[in-house]
Amino acid sequence: MSIILHIEKLFKSYNKKEGVVINGVDLAIEKGKIVCVVGESGSGKTTLTRLVAGLETQDHGVIKLNDKIVASDKVFIPPEDRKIGMVFQDYALFPHLTVYKNVAYGIADSQDKEVRVAEVLKLVGLEGYANRFPHQLSGGQQQRVALARALAPKPQLLILDEPFSNLDVALKLQLRNEIFDIIKRTNVTAIFVTHDTQDAVAISDEIVVLKKGKIIQQGSSEVLYKSPVDLYVASFFGTVFRLQDDDLEIFGLASETEKHYAVRLKDLQVNTNCTYSTEVFVEKSLFFGEYYLNTVKLSNDTVVNCMSIQKLEGKVTLGIEKNAVLAFGDISE
Amino acid sequence: MAIVCFITVPIGTILFKLFLGPGESWQHIVKNLLLDYSLNSFWLILGCICLTLLFGVSSAWIVSRYNIPFRRPLEWMLILPLAIPSYITAYAYAGFFDYGGSLELLLRSVGSKPFRIDVMNILGLIFVLSISLFPYVYVSARAVFLYQSGRLIEASKMLGVKEFRTFLKIVLPISRPAIVGGLVLVVMEVLNDYGAAKYYGVSTFTTGIFRSWFSLEEPSTAIYLSAILLILVFVFIFIERYQRAGKDYTMTAKSDIKLPRITIAKRKQIPLFFLAFIPVFFGFILPIFQLIYWSFLTFENINYTTFFSTAIQSLAIALLTALVTVFFALLVLYFPKWNALKFLKKSSRITILGYAIPGAVIAIGVMIPTLQLDKWLVKMSNEMFGVKIGLVINGTIIVLLYAYMIRFLAVAFNPIESSHLKIPESLSESSRLLGKGYLKTFFKIDFPLLKSGLLSAFILVFVDAMKELPLTLILKPYDINTLAVKAYEYASDELVMEAALPSLCIVATGILPIILLNRLILK
Repeated sequence: MSIILHIEKLFKSYNKKEGVVINGVDLAIEKGKIVCVVGESGSGKTTLTRLVAGLETQDHGVIKLNDKIVASDKVFIPPEDRKIGMVFQDYALFPHLTVYKNVAYGIADSQDKEVRVAEVLKLVGLEGYANRFPHQLSGGQQQRVALARALAPKPQLLILDEPFSNLDVALKLQLRNEIFDIIKRTNVTAIFVTHDTQDAVAISDEIVVLKKGKIIQQGSSEVLYKSPVDLYVASFFGTVFRLQDDDLEIFGLASETEKHYAVRLKDLQVNTNCTYSTEVFVEKSLFFGEYYLNTVKLSNDTVVNCMSIQKLEGKVTLGIEKNAVLAFGDISE
Repeated sequence: MAIVCFITVPIGTILFKLFLGPGESWQHIVKNLLLDYSLNSFWLILGCICLTLLFGVSSAWIVSRYNIPFRRPLEWMLILPLAIPSYITAYAYAGFFDYGGSLELLLRSVGSKPFRIDVMNILGLIFVLSISLFPYVYVSARAVFLYQSGRLIEASKMLGVKEFRTFLKIVLPISRPAIVGGLVLVVMEVLNDYGAAKYYGVSTFTTGIFRSWFSLEEPSTAIYLSAILLILVFVFIFIERYQRAGKDYTMTAKSDIKLPRITIAKRKQIPLFFLAFIPVFFGFILPIFQLIYWSFLTFENINYTTFFSTAIQSLAIALLTALVTVFFALLVLYFPKWNALKFLKKSSRITILGYAIPGAVIAIGVMIPTLQLDKWLVKMSNEMFGVKIGLVINGTIIVLLYAYMIRFLAVAFNPIESSHLKIPESLSESSRLLGKGYLKTFFKIDFPLLKSGLLSAFILVFVDAMKELPLTLILKPYDINTLAVKAYEYASDELVMEAALPSLCIVATGILPIILLNRLILK
């Protein structure tokens, strides 16, 4: 597989007060992959993609697209010459142009515009909407026009900046799958920016986790699930319970001083024979249809949630298997 | 309803009087002058549209898109020309280019051969009006450039389109409704202008109205001219509405990013700076220097007792006008709401037309019905009480205030309405549910929240009233004078230098609120 985007030692700060937003990022993305950049707000994910697009200039570092330098200390290729497609958070559809003209806007004059527009509109399932104006479309349709417009000039890289943040949950789930299919069909390399880790897990081949302007982990969903580098990454896949030093003692878990430990909610087992276990007192047991969600108290008064098939009462045993314990070098909430 | 009537009476009067036939000289005017009036007004409007577009759009694009030296001060200085009423700018230019004027003196002092440019004609008038009115276009263009085009420019660039084509294909089209909105204000002001056109000897509809009113003493002819002018105004309003229809691009939200500024090479920055500086120089700095120079020459000739009393009268009238107008604007806003009168909600919009109607037309529209009312009062008191009285209302400040109120209602209504829209309906509803009546709710909830809107409404009306000339000339009581009228009188009496001091006072009161206006627009 060839590398399409190569970033080396990228730094960016907007002003002294805010400090560095991108703090030495190195990244390589393979052709044809869908990569999600995730991180909490302020982690620098949008800035990173804007640097790649050429909408911002970096302080230091090199960005290469298809082995060609597009930004370095000496070179800066403006966004219009980078051949990167972008779907903006607010879609940025041109309000005074029809769907057809929006989509045709970026297609080079040498190409047969009509054919290409028809092609991409069909791809996003909006045939017959060519003469509408953006404000005559629903949110989901606008989203698809934005995608069609970005794909029309056949970009070498597609960036989607929080593409689902303006949509309601039901529509979002549907569109997420559709857009994933469309991108896969066109074989374009795509970078998704999102703060919703569920999106990242659902559609990406690879996830890049940004924190305070640094990449803290990069890999497939499986990798991130099996060996998360910190509590934040671990919590992508559901609730995680952090085990403090005295909790560890209660469970009989031998700990190393420099390390921090945690366990996923679903790995806390009730009344089964586990490597580590302790007796707890059930405070509440709520029926959720398929399972009961229990609030239990450890002997040091720490409150923990756990799931069970049956309703719990009184004292029960809470256990953790050895391979379910997550250990990190550094924890920040 | 009464309020709406109160405000629409002047327009109704003019339309009604149209059916009563024109005065004797109407035929003469149609034959000899109407073509002149129409052509002059036409060229004037066309010329001003072109020039204000050029000054306004180019300067707005430069200060919002490029990093140039002194960008921040330039941003608000470009609004300053609005602080000088256009007739005063006109006086200043006439003096600058006159025989023995400042230009000649300047050229002589550096030892070069003096030359003269004759500005006292329609071309000069177009330039003077444009240079003092272009900020209307600048302000509206800049607001769209800054806050609506950022994302779209980025999107266009990501699709491989370069800066200049992006400006033509994206920025200009989406800014068009706003720019045309600014242009309509320019046209209204051009049609409203009397002082500058009169001084430069250009006959327009407005000067025609004054001529038939004062020189020919034929109100009915003046009314016919007013009606034509009114139709012209409605045509422009219609065009504006029409071009806006359907293009009121309801962007889901204002773009969260400001237009990113481009940093260009220093040698390119200097010419751009000068391009943006030219309108400031000619629209504000040059006229102000001319006025200061004149004041310096004439300050000894001024009778300060009358000057101060005029200034105080001016201030008092403007303050009263602002108070009355803000009060009526509140009534127009709240009355339909309190009384759940749905049909009034729409009709209250009519009241806003006042600003579009030239001052001279409003003056005539106000004078005729109040004169009728006066005559009726005189007759009634004579018949019923046997008391002979003079005119009660006419020739008093009440008529003047009434006319000002109609003209400036829109100026007060807009800021109040926009801050009213920011107050959720649920606030007053909860207050009502907690047992407070309309008035109590208004004073306890709405009023404190409306404060900033009320204040800006007050200031804007105040400044406009200070500057107003044509309406004041027709309606002011004999014993009362304003700074604007004083400046006009000096200029008409060939004492244009003496006009400088009152003019400077008007400008001074105008500058601060204009900076405030700038802040409001950028909010």
